[in-house]
Amino acid sequence: MTPGVVLAFDTATAATVVGVSVNGEVVSQLADRPEVDERPRHAERLLSLCEQALSEAGKGWADVERLGVGVGPGTFTGLRIGIATTRGLQQACGAQAIAVSSLEALALPARIANPDSRVAAVLDARRSEAFVACWDANGALVVPPQAVGPERLAAAIGADEPEVLAVGDGAVLFRGSLEEASIAVPNADSPLHHISAASLCQLAASGEPSDPRRLMPDYVRRADAEITLENRLSNGG
Amino acid sequence: MSGPILAIESSCDDSCAAVLGGDGVVLSNIISSQGIHNRYGGVVPEIAARQHLQLLTPAIEAALSQAQVTLADLDRVAVTQGPGLIGALLVGVAQAKAIAAARGLPLVAVDHLQGHVAANFIGLEPFEPPFICLIASGGHTLLARVEDHSSYLLLGETLDDAAGEAFDKGARMLGLPFPGGPALQALAADGDDESFQFPVARNVEGCNFSFAGVKTSLLYAIRDLGEEEAEARRADLAASYQKAIVDALVERLTKALDASGLDRVAIGGGVAANGLLRSRITALGAVCHIPEISLCTDNAAMIASAARYLDDCSPQQALTLDAYPSGTRR
Ligand SMILES: [Zn+2]
Repeated sequence: MTPGVVLAFDTATAATVVGVSVNGEVVSQLADRPEVDERPRHAERLLSLCEQALSEAGKGWADVERLGVGVGPGTFTGLRIGIATTRGLQQACGAQAIAVSSLEALALPARIANPDSRVAAVLDARRSEAFVACWDANGALVVPPQAVGPERLAAAIGADEPEVLAVGDGAVLFRGSLEEASIAVPNADSPLHHISAASLCQLAASGEPSDPRRLMPDYVRRADAEITLENRLSNGG
Repeated sequence: MSGPILAIESSCDDSCAAVLGGDGVVLSNIISSQGIHNRYGGVVPEIAARQHLQLLTPAIEAALSQAQVTLADLDRVAVTQGPGLIGALLVGVAQAKAIAAARGLPLVAVDHLQGHVAANFIGLEPFEPPFICLIASGGHTLLARVEDHSSYLLLGETLDDAAGEAFDKGARMLGLPFPGGPALQALAADGDDESFQFPVARNVEGCNFSFAGVKTSLLYAIRDLGEEEAEARRADLAASYQKAIVDALVERLTKALDASGLDRVAIGGGVAANGLLRSRITALGAVCHIPEISLCTDNAAMIASAARYLDDCSPQQALTLDAYPSGTRR
């Protein structure tokens, strides 16, 4: 059954993306996209965009039946702002919370437009790495979300497959090594490189509700301090 | 009389939620301490933020249920806006904003240090201004003159380490676990506080503090004694070190009292738990107020208390509120 009012958002990238769908139809799509050298504005923009999207849809907080939140992987602070906001909204209006993979939302429009291709969602993970996940032409998740360096990126996506498309700011960033391995990357200005509000709404509408207490970011990476401590312990230090 | 306030505090490594009645009485005060940082020997910002995301929701639920209120009973929502660890603060700020927005409740943004001051206003017999307030914890050390319920005048602050940080670092040098304050105090109880002369930073101007020197002196003392001797004299080292930190705090406090002509003192922050500091301050002869320890260490009841005397954010501010990090003041 299609849920009535879905409010979905994503803060995994520098952008703050918000959408509202009513009975399966996306009625409002908003995004704040900082320039390359600007800081993300998740804290300042997320709730205002939510209110704006709801009001464009002629709805209020009390009408929201489902809350879809992008759980990453992506920027740690951004993910936490999105999830803490979801938890607060869930406590306040009792809507069901649905964890949406930010990479799945990113890949969805490319998969619909290229049904015969393997599609990889690639986000810039900083530190010369990318967060990547990949779906084959049958829609199966063949590479679960992970962080890889540029030298391993093409191989991780599956460079030997016949038709492979990579989207996302990470695909643009590492275009050179991807195209070398015959992986197609759309032009930098293609909307396919952005997480769309419509995809978030769609995935939130079809996803399984999760216990809001267990709703956590898909960090993929552990905190640096954890890795350092583990190395120190395993070196007997 | 107004209704209860729900407050959230997540500036460092305690995930806190509390409900304060409109009369200033604590209805619940939940503090989930993130013990996880002990193994790192200090608070790790990224890990603190991850923990807050896990711990705040249950803390808020517990605060509401212990206070026997629901969100529908609340008058306002208050949250620590800063200063503190930015990633940690943002978790609390985001959750508080969402609750307030979706329930149509006014939001109050509270400065963490104003919260420590306002811990003195909690309860049916609040400690009324004017007074001099010493706030000493692992994150801050400052002296403030409090003339009213909603602000304070900064008289002095630490130029380097916080007093609680000095305790933690000293404890670490003496082989004690983090957090070091309580362990160092226990060890000091068996020592002679006259056996080492550690510097009190009397040359620092005004009512400011510096704890970098005492830390370095302890390091040199341990090195000069050599491993065996230092081990044998740990209690003496701890006692002398503790005395130097407490001397520094009490001397500046005395100076602030003399300069202000006030004879009323309040203390806050985790270091307020230190027995030597408490007895030295009580001995000053001023009227002294020390909130119970759960209101001295970081907690959300003090944030709610501060909110009682502050204005609500405008609806626009409530939606766009951002946190501000350590080292900044609003
Ligand atoms: Zn504090």
